[in-house]
Amino acid sequence: MKHKSTLPAVFLSPALLILAVLALVPTVFAVFISFQDRELSRPDGRFVGLDNYLALFSDRRFVNAIGVSLTWEVLTVGLTLLVALLIGILMFEYAGPRWRSALSLMFLTPVILPRVSAAFVWKFAFHPLYGIITWPYKAITGQPLDLLSDPATALGTVALVDIWQWGLFFAVIVLKLLETLPPQPFEAARLDHARTWQVYAYVAIPMLKAPLISLAFVKMVESLRAFDLIYVMTRGGPGITTETLDMYAFSQGFIESGRISYASGMAVLMMIATSIVFTVIWKRTRA
Amino acid sequence: MSVRRKGRFVGRFILALAAFSAVFPFLWTALNAFKNRVDIVTPTPLFFFTPTLDNFAYVLGRGSVFQGLTNSLVISGSAVAIGAILGLPAAYALARYPGKWAKDIQFFVLSLRFLPPVAVAIPLMVIWLELGLYDTRLSMIVTYTLLTLATVIWLSVPAFQRVPREVEEAARVDGYGPYAIFFRIALPIASRSLIGAIAFSFVLVWNEFLIALMLTTSDAKTLPIVASELTQLGRDVPWGILNASVVLLSIPPLLLIGILSGMLNSAFRRKN
Repeated sequence: MKHKSTLPAVFLSPALLILAVLALVPTVFAVFISFQDRELSRPDGRFVGLDNYLALFSDRRFVNAIGVSLTWEVLTVGLTLLVALLIGILMFEYAGPRWRSALSLMFLTPVILPRVSAAFVWKFAFHPLYGIITWPYKAITGQPLDLLSDPATALGTVALVDIWQWGLFFAVIVLKLLETLPPQPFEAARLDHARTWQVYAYVAIPMLKAPLISLAFVKMVESLRAFDLIYVMTRGGPGITTETLDMYAFSQGFIESGRISYASGMAVLMMIATSIVFTVIWKRTRA
Repeated sequence: MSVRRKGRFVGRFILALAAFSAVFPFLWTALNAFKNRVDIVTPTPLFFFTPTLDNFAYVLGRGSVFQGLTNSLVISGSAVAIGAILGLPAAYALARYPGKWAKDIQFFVLSLRFLPPVAVAIPLMVIWLELGLYDTRLSMIVTYTLLTLATVIWLSVPAFQRVPREVEEAARVDGYGPYAIFFRIALPIASRSLIGAIAFSFVLVWNEFLIALMLTTSDAKTLPIVASELTQLGRDVPWGILNASVVLLSIPPLLLIGILSGMLNSAFRRKN
């Protein structure tokens, strides 16, 4: 009876049509202009075949950006999950119901802030002269501490803001996941005189393996959106030490030379890489 | 015993530290928004000072900020409205009529999030330029609809699945047709989670930065862009004004935090 209803077709087709058009047109167009030599100042491009792609592979800044992006992914995904597990477990272990909901609310605020706000808040906190975080260092040593201008620490400092936003948010989710677990295995482990950390390492975390993998996946996808933080905090600098792929594509297509086709080629390569990697991971973990 | 107690003390200390780090940075920014420049540019941080409203008055009185605020409200509001009107029915169809395509459709909707924003923004910039719609509210609304529609669908499918089937069956027995069941039964019952999904998609586009940066230059600039331009000012930085504009930008998402944490709670409620 119900599969004869017109409802699925009526309800699904407008939304899917719009999504398909809005997603496919830019994607196809990105591929199309990546075979041209368009620039912002000169919109009528000629077809140059694979020239943009060939140029990319001998572009050392592009290779550098791949490295920065990969470092960023590993750093933010790994540390976010570590922070989330630590804080989530501590909340589950040491906080009563009221404290849990109060803490959860506080831990949600960083991720809700616009990335531009979060980036500015921390950029000012790390300001070598007036920053509240660098102040103790300056007070003790008399030297200003400029983490964002030091090639060795700039990327890590920006990553800290990302982990601050996502790690605390995921800690709340880890807490909720722990709360859904049945209490019996915990009690059994305690009766066997397991230490607290053993209960989590050998009982709780293995039971939550599937949702934790999903969390890691979500973070991998969201870590691609590093641009806002980097744009406000370092603009890819010092030098090109924090220039991720999207930052480089932006500066090629927009700021420096307006080489829109070249930037588009980069975007297409990113699109292919992320689509393949994420689809494989998604299908693997769901199978 | 004493080991356990020590563990609890250390654990609670770490939690307190984390809670402090979660809220203090923004509170400090909010505090600075009420300071005169001389009270911000001090060798030691000042906690006590004579507050001033000058920064907010300046920010709200500036044409660019006011324009950014209205642009953000119109663009985010319209994109969210379109996303909800089209997305909620689609999500319901996916939740309640799981044909063989439902899984593929859901994956397609999710996979839109895999697209790097810069890969969407570059071609759209060229497309909007050629259509003569570059830097208009209309082009921004259409672009953001891609984000809101996908998000609303993705988050609403589980919300509709949590509506007890028996209630819908009972309504069917009472003579309700499929459309009446959606509008008068499923929608009201799932409304709390659905409002959470809509609020989330609002926060997402309100906070969106990269696409807006590439698709607007003056007329349709959204508030995050205006705020970021203020943060890039030269040497003699008006720190108080900067802090005030960051606070202004952050207020709407923070107002929705109650709804969003409610959505989290209902998503992870114990299943039995």
